[in-house]
Amino acid sequence: MYSFLEPIFIFTLLSIMQVLGLYITAMSGQLSMATAAIAGVGAYLSAILTVKMGWGFPPAILMAGLAGAVVGVVLAFITLRMRDFILKLTTIAFGEALAVLAFNWDYIGGANSFTGIAPQTTIVTCLVGTLVALYVTWRFDGSRLGFAARAIRDDPIAATAMGVSLGQLRCVTFALGATIIGIAGAIQAHYVLVVSPHDLGFFVSLNFIIFLLFGGIQTMWGPVLGAILLTALPEALRFAKEYRLIVYGLIIVLVILKRPQGLMTRTPTGRAKKLFGFIISPERPPQAPAHVKHEFNTEAGAQPKS
Amino acid sequence: MDLFLQQVANGLIIGSTYAVVALGFALAFTVLRVINFAHPEVFMVGMFAGLVAGALYPAGGFLFAILMGALAAGVVGFLIERTVIKPLRGRDVLSTLIGTLGVAIMLQNGMAIIAGPDPVAYPTLLPRKMVDIGPVVLTMRQLTNFGVCILLLGFVSFYVRATKLGRATRAIAERPDVAAAFGINVGLVCTVTIVIASMMGGVAAVSVGTLYGSAWAFVGLLYGLKAFTCMLVAGNRYFEGVMVVGLGIGIIEALVTGYISSSLKDAVAFFVLIGVLYFRPNGLFGSYSQ
Repeated sequence: MYSFLEPIFIFTLLSIMQVLGLYITAMSGQLSMATAAIAGVGAYLSAILTVKMGWGFPPAILMAGLAGAVVGVVLAFITLRMRDFILKLTTIAFGEALAVLAFNWDYIGGANSFTGIAPQTTIVTCLVGTLVALYVTWRFDGSRLGFAARAIRDDPIAATAMGVSLGQLRCVTFALGATIIGIAGAIQAHYVLVVSPHDLGFFVSLNFIIFLLFGGIQTMWGPVLGAILLTALPEALRFAKEYRLIVYGLIIVLVILKRPQGLMTRTPTGRAKKLFGFIISPERPPQAPAHVKHEFNTEAGAQPKS
Repeated sequence: MDLFLQQVANGLIIGSTYAVVALGFALAFTVLRVINFAHPEVFMVGMFAGLVAGALYPAGGFLFAILMGALAAGVVGFLIERTVIKPLRGRDVLSTLIGTLGVAIMLQNGMAIIAGPDPVAYPTLLPRKMVDIGPVVLTMRQLTNFGVCILLLGFVSFYVRATKLGRATRAIAERPDVAAAFGINVGLVCTVTIVIASMMGGVAAVSVGTLYGSAWAFVGLLYGLKAFTCMLVAGNRYFEGVMVVGLGIGIIEALVTGYISSSLKDAVAFFVLIGVLYFRPNGLFGSYSQ
């Protein structure tokens, strides 16, 4: 039983880490569709470091995080001038281009994938990684930077007029998010033991975007819930055999149609959220009534309740 | 020089297919502001409908298969529009993407259960014959595929410029609210647009299936992302721009295959996309403001 549950548990934790990274990235309004590519950079780098250079596992993970940050900043710079929705999709092309690069680079295995990685990841590694990611996201969510990022998402012009630097903030969110994603990629590489160019593709990234929108983009707990539910769901649906992917698609469609803001939303009153007596979302000042606030939300924000 | 011309011809043929699928995306995105990720799967359904039609009634030949493909794709497109796309109109573009992607997952895996996860052989609808055009050698099927796609592109160009519904389509793309105020039935135009895009996809799908001699439940993946990229590169202001970019990307891919390496060809579209969007953020030919 345990050996059956372990992979599910580990993959759920890894999904949570990556979706949190994506959540931080998306906070400033630029939805990165290159999550898998950044995770792949981390995975390849850590694999090279441990297998070819003989580094230990922990420093390799740190380097993967650093590499993720660098890629994130590059991506932020490329997409900085782009504002419309279409232009966010440049990140798709970025990811695909990296995938093709990996495909053609023989040093890292090329089309045959990078193999021969030693198994290093345990449940403890994943748990620690996830907890750190949760803590970082939670702190960032309630910090001045987090508020500034959300201001930029909701209305870039007004936020810039208030003295928030758009470029700086997007770099920060991309770098921080990509660091978490890169680390998650490295941990995953040492569990799966194979890194293949296909792992960098757009359709892998799309999974994380589905987690994010499914769970709700307004709080950090929405994406976490989405990742847990949707990673576990295909496993729970195993009794349905070959029909499970159809059911999976159906559930996604139904949630998007019936609950466009995602499963979890922010409480509109500004009260701190509590779970078993613990404050799980930081106290925030009283907010304007719902209809005033929502006028500024162009996308990704709350939907007015009719 | 012969190799160059041959590759350009091959590129035009594959590019014309990209252009047709990309137009399906562009029509849906321009008019409804919905990214219809189910469109490549509608293409796939059309391909299988053509396969069944060709296998059950071989006397009907290529035209009958094309007709059935268009019909099936049109019906599926209509159903998707009614159930998923219509309620998603006016939403954040990303939720439309995820919603239609859910439909795509269902269609793909549904077809994989019916037809099996491996490619299925296509009935022989056109003779295997080589045609020499100057230094270029093409097969009869390649030429037919190219002809069918070019006809479809011409039809769309005619439709959006010269017919009443087509002009309404462009009016809605420009300003949906003003178009509605001028008495255009927005809901109707949206439905018609999706059905037309789907039927075009169905026609192209049967001709592509005949060209490669197989149909596959996951064929949408091959065309979807690339066609989508073509639409982004062109911008959605001019449908003709999407066609030109589709053909252009096909040609560049074929040249890269011929002169550099075939494994790099899939990256071409994406490098083009990054380059173009960096210097012309609204696409090569401009986009409607969001």
